[in-house]
Parts: sequence; C-alpha cells; structure tokens
Amino acid sequence: MRKLNKVAKLAAISAAVAVVLAGCSSSSEETATDTGAAAGAASGTVRVLMEGVPDTDIVSGLLADFNAEYPDVKVEIETASYDQMRDKYVASFTAAEPTYDLAILDNPWVGDFAKAGFVQPLDDLIAASDGYDYADFTAPLRAIGESDGKVYGVPFYNYALGLIYRSDLVTAEPASLDELAATAKSLTTADRAGIAMQPQKGYKAFEEWGNYLFAAGGSLYTDGKVKLTTPEAKKALETYIAMYKSSAPKDSLNWGFDDALRSVSSDKSVMMVSYNWMLPTLNNPDGDSGALAGKFKLGTMPGGKQVLGSWHWAIPTNSNASDAAWAFVSWISSKAGEAKRVTAGGAPTRTSVFSDAAATAKDPAYFATIAKILSNAEPLCQGANCDEMINAVGTELNAAFAGEKSVDDALAAAEEQANKIQAE
Amino acid sequence: MSFRLKLMLPLLAVFTASVGYPLLYAFYLSLTNYKITARYNTRLVGLKQYIATLQDPNYWSALQVTGTFVLLAVFIEFWLGLFIALALQKQTRIRNFTRSFLLTPMFVTPIAIGLMFRFLLNQQLGVIPTFMAKFGLSYDFFGPGKALYSIVLIDVWQWTPFMVLLLLAGLEGLSRSPFEAAKVDGASAFFTFRKITLPLLVPVISVAVLIRALDAMKVFEYVFAITRGGPAIQTMTIQYYTYQTGIQFYRLGLASAMSYLLLIIVMVIVVILFRRIESTRKNP
Repeated sequence: MRKLNKVAKLAAISAAVAVVLAGCSSSSEETATDTGAAAGAASGTVRVLMEGVPDTDIVSGLLADFNAEYPDVKVEIETASYDQMRDKYVASFTAAEPTYDLAILDNPWVGDFAKAGFVQPLDDLIAASDGYDYADFTAPLRAIGESDGKVYGVPFYNYALGLIYRSDLVTAEPASLDELAATAKSLTTADRAGIAMQPQKGYKAFEEWGNYLFAAGGSLYTDGKVKLTTPEAKKALETYIAMYKSSAPKDSLNWGFDDALRSVSSDKSVMMVSYNWMLPTLNNPDGDSGALAGKFKLGTMPGGKQVLGSWHWAIPTNSNASDAAWAFVSWISSKAGEAKRVTAGGAPTRTSVFSDAAATAKDPAYFATIAKILSNAEPLCQGANCDEMINAVGTELNAAFAGEKSVDDALAAAEEQANKIQAE
Repeated sequence: MSFRLKLMLPLLAVFTASVGYPLLYAFYLSLTNYKITARYNTRLVGLKQYIATLQDPNYWSALQVTGTFVLLAVFIEFWLGLFIALALQKQTRIRNFTRSFLLTPMFVTPIAIGLMFRFLLNQQLGVIPTFMAKFGLSYDFFGPGKALYSIVLIDVWQWTPFMVLLLLAGLEGLSRSPFEAAKVDGASAFFTFRKITLPLLVPVISVAVLIRALDAMKVFEYVFAITRGGPAIQTMTIQYYTYQTGIQFYRLGLASAMSYLLLIIVMVIVVILFRRIESTRKNP
C-alpha cells in the first residue's frame, strides 16, 4: 500500500509538473503586446484554415516577406475545400482547445459568428495600429465585416460578381437586362450557348439571380425586410427563366460555378455571371482556356449594380495567439500588404490600391472595372441566419427555374421564408 | 459478477462510450432549442422540436424521397446482383480477376463517385451525353422528375457489387444435393431457380437486403455533390435535410429531433422485417 501511495504521489507530482510546463509552453507560444500590431514585437504560431483558391496561394507566397518584418510569428496555413471550411471553423470555435488562431470568414457567416461570440471585435486593435487606415477599405466591404456597430472582420479579398464575356463575340456590353437577354439569345448556336447559367438549388441560384434583380432595378431589402414581391423581382425571375430556356446550355439546371467555368473556358458558352477574379484565370495562357486566353473581358452587370461577396480576416475569441494573428492580419491587409497581394494577383479590397500604378499595371482596364463593381455592390444577406435565408430563397428560385412553382408563388414563398428565418 | 459478464465489460464500456453517450446526448439535445450560434440561450423546450418536425412538410417530403430512393435502389441492386452472382457462379475461367474487378466501385468513396458522375453526366461536357448524342439521344439526367432516378442509378452502379458479394457467397454455400435431385427429375432451370435456389437463399437475401436498405437510407454524398437536394426539393433526402438543419443552419436541437424520429421509424420497419423473415424461415 505504501509503495502504491508513493507511486500515486509521484504520478501526482508528475502531473502537476506537466500542467505547469504546459502552461509555460502555452504562454511561451505568444509573448505579444496587447496593442497588437507593434511591428516585430509579436511572436507565436498562428494557425489558419483557408480555402484552396488562388488568393490563398498568393498569401502563402507573401509569408516570407511577412517574416522578414515579423521573424517570431509563424503562420501555418491549412487549406480545405469551401464545403469543409465552415464546419471546421465552428468545431474549432466551440472547442476548449482551438484548432485555429486566425480565421477567414465568408460574408454570410460574419453576422452569426459575431453574435455567437465566436470571433472578437477588432476595433481596439485597429485603433492601436498606426497608419492602418481602416476607412480605406471600400464601404460595401467594410459593412460586411461589421455587426452591431463593431468590426469583426477586415476584408481579405472580394468576390463581387460581374459579367464575363468573350470580347471577340460580344461587341458591346449589354446596358440593360433586356439587352443581356437579347445578346445571349443572339449568340446562342447549336454548338455554343449564349450564357452559362448557374441555377443550382440554394446559394448559387440566389447569388446569380440577385444580379438579375439588381439589373432589373430591384433591391433585396426594403426598410430592413426582404422584399421580393415586387415588379422588378418578377421581371428578373421571368427574364432569368426565359434566358435559361433560350440561351443557357441544355439541361444545366444543377449547374454551379465549376460547370459554368468549364463551359466558358471550353468555348461552349460565350458569357457567364461570375466572380471578377475569374478573369485572370480565364485569360491565363497556361490555363484551361487554351487558345481562348486573352479573349475574355469583365464588365459590370447591366445597370451597374451587382452581388457582392467577400472573405474577411477574423480572430477567434478562443485564439491562442490573438496578437500574433493581428500582427499578420494588419500586415497583409495594410496598404502596403494589399499592394503586394494585388500585384501578385489577389483580388483588391482597398480604394487606394486602384490608384497604385504598380499594383494595377498588369491590366489597368480590369482594375478600373473592379473599382466600378465594388463601388456599387451589395451582399445577398444582411443580419442573422444568412446561410439559412440564402438557402431558402435559392430553393424557391430553383423551384421556379424548374417549373415546379410559378414566378409569383416562388417569390412570395421566398420573401415569407426569408423574413421568418431572419426574424428568429 | 459472473465470468461471462466480466468478459463482456470491455465491449459494454466501448459501446456505452461510442454509441450510448452520443445517443443519450442527442436525445437531450432534441428536448432543447440548442443552436450552435446561440449556445448560451439553450433551454429545455420539451417536445417542441418533435412537434415542429412532425408539422414540417419538408421533413415528410424528405422521408418520401428517401423511401422511394431506397425501394428503387435496393430492388434493382438485388435483382441485378442476383443475376450477376448466378452468372459468376457458373464462371470457370479468370474467376478471381472478374470478381475483384466487379467489386471495384464499392471501394471508392461515395463523394468521389458523386463528383465523378456529376461531370460524366454533364449535358455539355460529359462523356455519357456526348456518346448518347451520337445516336441522336438526349436525356436531362438531373432535370425535374429525373434527378432522383439518376441518383438511384449511381447508387446501383456503386452498390450492386455488394449484393453480388453476399449473394454469391450464399449461392456457393448451398448444398448441391437438392439441385442434383432436381436435375435427375428433369426440372427446368427456371423451375429450379424459383423452387430451390430462391427459397434456400432467403436467409442470405434477407440479410443482404436489410443491410443494403439501411445503408441506402443514409444516402447523402451523391445529393451533396450533385444536386444539393434539387431541382426544388426533389432529391432532398432525409440525411441531407437533417445535415442542412443541424450543421448548415446550426439548429442541432431540431436536427436531433429529426434524427430520433427517423430512428423510431427505421426501428419499426426493421422489427417488422425481422418478424417477417422469422415467420418465413419457420413456414417457408
């Protein structure tokens, strides 16, 4: 028994030592100041999950530059497909020991994650960072990262939509929704569709149709409520359905982003409504477009307004390395960091970058169009329960595309469900 | 404690931890309004989530879609599997190669199969529609009224080998004497199949169909990769709907109630099936 007691004591002492050591090691992980972006002062390991997209590769490519200024901060980037990201983040945010110290948030997540307390307000960190110039981010992008008057995310990159078209086939950018429909129809042949559409149920259906709604002169919110039973929404939906029938690839009701991109890059469609940063990908001579590279152009949606999407940097409340994370965020999203990122091919978020000749030298016309796009763009959802609301509206729209519901019924149901979901 | 019970303890401990705890916790969640993004406002709401589920037309629609999927997929897989198993039983050359080759689809993860078929059946870029077009044929695989059947065919492609595997094992385990007696009596091949092969195979068929049906009820990956439940809600299966509710929309309390109701429905069906199998075995 005495021997057993000795063993127990030894185990208890070992455990206590282990706990103390673990505490020491944890605190040695991060020895940063509370003010955040004090250059070079922060230290620690910042683990972040990012989507496997070109903008992530660009960030990875800039880590060496970051470490030249912050040698004691190690940024570890894990990549995943979009479908995995949110679930992995939620698991980390709710865990006692987080998997990630820094997060990137898609715009529909920001409001919910802020209200849930998953991510921390950044106002103090922004205020303490000299020369950060938060107001330089374009206004619609700033609005997405804010909730209840506080900043929870600073813009990483935008994915506002626009009209991508073949400049050798489209002579003039359509100026109205009717013109877009007429152009698509006139370009449709037996071998090539006028426009590759993305009517897949849920997010894609709503995201694409939202641009048609804006092009018809409509809006999503009126007095803080979703309002879709309007003449503009009806015209947008009727035009969308007519275009799907007359000018989209045959039997493409389940098409999403990938399908449309493949169709356009393989000369099977002339136009598509897609993310602005797809243009460099399509025009890449070593990419999938082959001989078509260089023939694609980006325009605003007819009427000039489009759906805005964006990713934001955010720091989880349970981050083990908040200061080190902010050191990285404030570096990569600073004016200088943004210029480097955009020069390397990243999608812009700051107003100042559009007047940076070096950053926009590759294709000034393309950047001028993005500046126009970002000056008049709106996200699909504002407020709470955005994922659910977007999915509900996208399901009703898809039912109308499929002929399962009339235009009026689908819009009425979408409006009712959207408001009910957002009120909960 | 008896020695037999002691031997069972490790299993019971693992079972309690891995199955019992999640089940009990899910039941607790189903009685609350738990939402991942509002964890600190969680409270007990009694049977409210169950009532909400029962009153949700989309839940019943998803059950109906899943039921249709299971019936069609398992029916086709069984008959096709039996046909292939009978053919394989007669095979004399390169048996091992044929069998392993036929089983290949089973070893591929369903999400990869879903993505693969999404592009294979793509009307503009897919190999299959292009091939069909050479014969003047066109079919909208994922269009209204057709998408569910396309998903069924994808499941058949992947899981018929499972049926083949079980049924072939069953066929090869049958005693040869009844077949030899039938041959001596001059019974036709069809008569032998109907009156001897099928009845003798009933225990294996029952297990194979039950396992496959329960597995088919979990259909999720094809829907996730290809249709996302569309067009409208025509391919919205119960698993996808529950996933959406619980994970995508954070409503874990409601999703737990949905899962428990499904569990009850499945258990009732399984008990009825087992009783039928038992009575068939006793009174063939």
